[in-house]
Amino acid sequence: MAAVNTTGPAPYIYACTRMRVRKAGLLPREEYMRMLNMELPEVTRFIEETGYKTEIDELASSFSGVDLMEIALSWNLAKEYQRIIAMVPGHLKKLTKSYLLRWDIQNVLTVLRGKTQGVPSGKIKEILIPAGSLDKVDLDRLVGEDSPDRIVDHLKDHKLYSVFDREMAAALESGSFARMENELYKAYYADLIRESKGGVKGGHAFLKYVRLDIDTKNLETVFRVKGETDSESIRELMIEGGTFTIDELVRYAGIENVEEIVDTVRKKLDIESFSDVFDAVRENKPASEIELGLIKAKLDQMDRLSKRYPMSVCPILLYLEMKMYEVSNLRAVARGKESNLPSERIGACMVV
Amino acid sequence: MAIEAMTVEVAEASAVGLKAVGAGLAVGLAGMGTGLAQLGIGGAAVGATAENKEMFGLALLFTVIPETVVIFGLVVALLLLFT
Repeated sequence: MAAVNTTGPAPYIYACTRMRVRKAGLLPREEYMRMLNMELPEVTRFIEETGYKTEIDELASSFSGVDLMEIALSWNLAKEYQRIIAMVPGHLKKLTKSYLLRWDIQNVLTVLRGKTQGVPSGKIKEILIPAGSLDKVDLDRLVGEDSPDRIVDHLKDHKLYSVFDREMAAALESGSFARMENELYKAYYADLIRESKGGVKGGHAFLKYVRLDIDTKNLETVFRVKGETDSESIRELMIEGGTFTIDELVRYAGIENVEEIVDTVRKKLDIESFSDVFDAVRENKPASEIELGLIKAKLDQMDRLSKRYPMSVCPILLYLEMKMYEVSNLRAVARGKESNLPSERIGACMVV
Repeated sequence: MAIEAMTVEVAEASAVGLKAVGAGLAVGLAGMGTGLAQLGIGGAAVGATAENKEMFGLALLFTVIPETVVIFGLVVALLLLFT
């Protein structure tokens, strides 16, 4: 049943404004550029001075160096997401929770991959981010299990249990969880679309975001495999529900001429935010650059959506995404500095 | 003759009554408009202040701006009642 708004629009305005203020407080581009010129200890100190002090102080006794920073960043992200779920009212809560389900996919797959490759439980725990419906206790329980089957058994009440259950045997047989991952994301997006069309208030704005996300992912695949003729394997990688049908996407992926792909895609997806990506594809830029361009285009378009629907789930989703990229940028800086990578290479991996 | 005197009295009383109703409507409707405007601004102001305490002064100022509407209503009501 759709969530009923019994308290008027004020809580929605309140929550969306808080998200806007939080978004404004995220690190700007100039700060990242400054950080690229710092040494690792300076970067750690800098991060501690921003919003990550509590987590760094909490974990300082157990970890050090870049590990401390990485785990503190993950903890901060998870806590922030849980705080936002607690804060957002009415139907926004349900939509936000559904969106955050992607973290469950990531966490469970990390546990499964780690377990099958014999990674110690402690190491697996370090990289989990309990930001979805599975909290720290649930994840600890999963990490504590010995076999993948028992891990999946623990997920009986989970929304995506049927997919885990269906794909597990094939994944164990092939030794790869890639197909399972694809199927999980397909089910995840199908669920989001179903929810946004289920009559919930604000579903229209949510659907726009879901479509945008699916388009970005599908285009990433098309640009990565361009010229590939094995249509069946391409079809399996595509997610349904976006602007393009699966048949169209398979056809685009099979086109060898880059100009033709871009022109055809542009005809249907004429969004200003994506024009830089299309230019990058045309210029045959590396795949990583195109992927980053797609993420930036998605964020730019999400920003536009959040302005068009200011009291919807869009400002919340925009903040959640931007926070996630802030954490991944900081992680890239820390890891890059530790590995003595040149600043330009670190900068090229960041979404700024 | 008696009926005519009654009519003038009734008309005068009605005029006073209608002025009072008009004054009430002016203040009431202006107050409702102000309230509706303050609903959104107040929600946003509290949200912004919750995130950043420094915004309190500015947020308060924005919340007070729609008060001008109810003051206009009050002025209209006073004009109706005393002129």
